[in-house]
Amino acid sequence: MPVTNEGFEPLIVAFCCNWCSYAGADLAGVSRMSYSSNVRIIRVPCSSRVNPSFIIRAFQRGADGVLVAGCHPGDCHYHSGNFFTRRRLTVLKQMMEYLGIEPERFQVRWISGSEGAKFAMVMNSVAEEIKRLGPNRKLRDVR
Amino acid sequence: MKRIAKANLAELLSAMAAEAKLYVPAESDGIVNFVSWQEGLAVELAALNVLVPPKKFFYPQTETVLKYEMGEDLQIEDFACKAGEKAILFAVRPCDVSSFAMMDKVYLEEPPDEAYRRRRENTTVIALGCTEPDEACFCQSFDIDAAKAPGADVLAVDTGEELALVAQTEKGEELISALNGLLSEATSGDENKVKDEQEKIADRYVTSVSLRGIKERLAGMFAADYWERLYKRCIGCGTCTFLCPTCHCFDLQEYAAGNCGERIRCWDACMFADFTQMAGGHNPRPSQKERVRQRFMHKLNYFPQQHGDYACVGCGRCVRKCPVNLDILEVIREAGGGTDGL
Amino acid sequence: MQQKVEGYPLKEYTTKICQIAKEALENREVTAIIGWRKKDFWWQSPVVFLEDPADVQQLVWDPFTIYSPVKFLLDWQESCAAKVGIFVKGCDSRGINRLLQDKRLERERVAVYGVPCGGKADAEKIRASFPSKEIKSVTLIGEELVLAVGEREERVKAEAYLLDKCLSCRHPNPVVYDKLVWEEVSPRQYADESRFARVQAVESLVTEERFAYWQRQFDRCIRCFACRNTCPACNCRVCIFDQAEPRWLGKANDPADTLNYHIIRAFHVAGRCFECGECERICPAGVPLQELNRKLIKGINDAYGDYEAGLDPTDVPPLGTYRGEDPAGFDES
Repeated sequence: MPVTNEGFEPLIVAFCCNWCSYAGADLAGVSRMSYSSNVRIIRVPCSSRVNPSFIIRAFQRGADGVLVAGCHPGDCHYHSGNFFTRRRLTVLKQMMEYLGIEPERFQVRWISGSEGAKFAMVMNSVAEEIKRLGPNRKLRDVR
Repeated sequence: MKRIAKANLAELLSAMAAEAKLYVPAESDGIVNFVSWQEGLAVELAALNVLVPPKKFFYPQTETVLKYEMGEDLQIEDFACKAGEKAILFAVRPCDVSSFAMMDKVYLEEPPDEAYRRRRENTTVIALGCTEPDEACFCQSFDIDAAKAPGADVLAVDTGEELALVAQTEKGEELISALNGLLSEATSGDENKVKDEQEKIADRYVTSVSLRGIKERLAGMFAADYWERLYKRCIGCGTCTFLCPTCHCFDLQEYAAGNCGERIRCWDACMFADFTQMAGGHNPRPSQKERVRQRFMHKLNYFPQQHGDYACVGCGRCVRKCPVNLDILEVIREAGGGTDGL
Repeated sequence: MQQKVEGYPLKEYTTKICQIAKEALENREVTAIIGWRKKDFWWQSPVVFLEDPADVQQLVWDPFTIYSPVKFLLDWQESCAAKVGIFVKGCDSRGINRLLQDKRLERERVAVYGVPCGGKADAEKIRASFPSKEIKSVTLIGEELVLAVGEREERVKAEAYLLDKCLSCRHPNPVVYDKLVWEEVSPRQYADESRFARVQAVESLVTEERFAYWQRQFDRCIRCFACRNTCPACNCRVCIFDQAEPRWLGKANDPADTLNYHIIRAFHVAGRCFECGECERICPAGVPLQELNRKLIKGINDAYGDYEAGLDPTDVPPLGTYRGEDPAGFDES
């Protein structure tokens, strides 16, 4: 079933860890790779800094998709932050899907500082998926 | 007096829905609440108390007060003057009907609350008389005749196969005449039947309390040890206040973004710690003790002092729903000394 | 396995509880006792605090001594320097471990009297079969519920009238105590099968049906916070939902904010919820909160190994630790 959401420009909030994913964004930038302009990056010290409330708040205030990006497991600048992220956000993601939120709305990916191309690719694919899903209505606050 | 066979209730509701927005009690997942009526919805007439009292129709849990935008000059959009679409509440129990009069004292005395006034004026209340109170019902103790509901626009009485309808106000007359095609005239036999039904209830209460002297006794109990004992098991949730048909405290909140924003009014509860929290950090009701005391003092002393009536209608919601069984029956009995019944 | 439930008659159990309380107060082992007493109606057995040995006759043990006394320990500890004695069922005792593990309770300041429990009665189920107004008393004798209804005595099989949460209880015996009040009982036979049954039923729906299901449930939520306030795992000194600045939860009862509340509440007890089921039982609006809590437990068990909270106060909750080889619920490529 082809769903077109023509003209819909989603707002995607990407929480990027300072040490890997944000550096990945930098690399994508200096390498002049183009990626979706629907993405707004929020730099965080570590992916484990991302409190689930940040994610819900982003959705409430207008995000159509949220991405949390951190260092690959084993590469955390703080040794183990992303291991905690992995458990927590796995559980959060399960719960959001259980409550009837589409799995694509909230995603977690590992992107290192040397993966500029991957950064661009992930951003494009997430933007594409959210475009297909259409606007977030379920979690958006009416006020 | 008019009557209609209960088998034809759907037709009656459909005709009412054509007149105004119609709300009826209906069950969903085991909980009965007032919901917007639509074709095919099963109306729950047997339930005594709906979960959320019908005060929500005049004083919603959340409502927009105003919206503003700051540009060259300040634009303010007032929502109070838009409130109150034409509505009909069907099958409101007499205890809840009595609560409206109590709320009126708060919201309609000068200066009246515009949104509340408009909603109240545009709503026609059809009460459903009770015949069988349950063990947590004690409206009788507040001199409420649960078979009748003088504050309602129309009183409906369930006579088994039929509903008898009596218009009690001008608004009620209007509604009844609009529905006339569906109703038949009651005979004197019907009227007697209704009377019989209405007389049954008085002996069917198992719970009552004596309110004699409670206002005065409580006046001297502000510093009593009693509250110290009572509050300990209160968990500070909002169940009693939110489900109480007479609790009416609210909070105003600002939802601001950039140069525009929205102000809302929402239910608040004196049971919550942040209810009296000051901006500077001071809280005049620092512990649950003061909060519990406030709730019962307000209902049984402050409110009657100011308005003449107790702020309780004996609906029994707090008795049934308090997680720790800390309810007004207990306070009236212990503080007032009334132990009749049970 | 032969089902073994408490061998009431109740009176003797109540007597036993009174006796222990009396001795503890008289010997100055503790300065206060937290237990249960009887109130106006057959279905009310609220928590009671006693300081005077002469008052211990108020204490009861009956099919409605359901409400957990554990969370009151937090206030008690803060307001009073002395030691308190508390009666706990199996589920309540896991609450003690919860507070200990969260470093919110000083173990030496509590005397824990463990009460093995054969399950508690569901007043709603009883009301569906018997006229509530005519019920004088309800007692549990062996596996039978004995009701005094009007002038007659009714005996029914207890299991049909127990709380659902008790039917899926895996730890009817206290897991931490200083004194066991009577001999242990055996867990219910179908406890394991019924534990995740409702979660699985919701999981089997498609995304939009699940969303509609939960919206219908949350739509009834009145935001009274009873679920949070009753939960021993919700023991933060300042709750995120009460903070005015930043305000994480709006005070308007908007659908998106109610969803926000329920996601975050459940997540904050993920890996810490010990399945006492009180949130769901006391919810005035009948929101099936255990279906949320147990979904998280099931998810954690499936991904990171079986874990039951509240059994050992020295272990680390699953979301407070990790393994390098953990699986992820998202694309790790």
